[in-house]
Amino acid sequence: MNLNLTKSDKIFLGVISGGYIAVLIYMVVTDYKFQLEGVGQRWIYQLPFGEGPLSRVNPLTIIMTWVVMGLIIFMVTRVKVFKIIPGKKQSLLESLLDYVYDLVKDSVTRKEYVRPIFDIAASLFLFILVSNIIGSFPGINAFPTENGGVTFTILADTWYAPTSDLNMNLMLALFVFVMSHVYAIRVKGLKSWVKSFFEPIWWMFPINIIGEIAKPISHALRLFGNIMGGAILVLILGYLVKYFVLPAALWGIFGLFFGAIQALIFTILAIAYISSLIE
Amino acid sequence: MDIGEGLMMMGKFIGAGLAMGIGAIGPGIGEGRVGASAMEAMARQPEMIGTLTTRMILADAIAETTGIYSLVIAFMILLVV
Repeated sequence: MNLNLTKSDKIFLGVISGGYIAVLIYMVVTDYKFQLEGVGQRWIYQLPFGEGPLSRVNPLTIIMTWVVMGLIIFMVTRVKVFKIIPGKKQSLLESLLDYVYDLVKDSVTRKEYVRPIFDIAASLFLFILVSNIIGSFPGINAFPTENGGVTFTILADTWYAPTSDLNMNLMLALFVFVMSHVYAIRVKGLKSWVKSFFEPIWWMFPINIIGEIAKPISHALRLFGNIMGGAILVLILGYLVKYFVLPAALWGIFGLFFGAIQALIFTILAIAYISSLIE
Repeated sequence: MDIGEGLMMMGKFIGAGLAMGIGAIGPGIGEGRVGASAMEAMARQPEMIGTLTTRMILADAIAETTGIYSLVIAFMILLVV
């Protein structure tokens, strides 16, 4: 096997491996121990007004969502000029989006809806992919302490992935749910959309409603369980071995591999939910 | 630690173990079936191995979902409540 690395590739790989080695040295020098205190806990901020569930926010989710959106916008503005002979970054982006476009084109039968559904699917795919990948690099995370405060951990855990919060995933799934019914009303008309809930026979109405409500819930919980379960599993395994090498490999598996697969599955299911309603 | 707290801990551990153990049966069977069918198809048509592997991983990840649900429930029993 012959690897052709350019100078910038070598610099990139050097920075990544140097970062890992620096973190390893930092952990050995400061006699770091993995802590299992705040596992599964969230930093929740109580707004000064109001009571109940809508008066609390999850600050880290909001911050990391904006970070991910900023990263995507930065990438988009960097490769604005598309050449006829693509470079490396451009061919990566083109093959990713081409794959998503083929998925949409295969499952959507109406030609005029391919492009808008592709826009939704590609946005979901890029957002979830970037936020899952961010969750596989060591970075800054926050845990609540016993007496209501917050501790920030630096390089002890991965960056907080916004998709490991159920609120985020439920929002994405509800967005897909609402868009699928909006498309259904536009394609079929209101009358036959209402009628589709009374399909084969009228007393199947409650079962159809439950089936529709179950879609976004299972859609959201699948992504949430994979990302959050992976994060907690890596933390607990890291606590067992107390070394940095195994968590790095596990972060690679859970963050990069499962993260990419779950992003793809979320996108495929979103396309399937939308396209099954507009046949 | 009084006896009530001890009973609660016992219930938590047994519950988490049962949730993960029973919940892993279904995904195991499902992924096994997916893998078996994919192997059969690959043996029949070796030129489709690339496509089949991708689809097999996707189907595995979907079959895994219920196992992931029980993992989350087990973590919630152990750590959150």
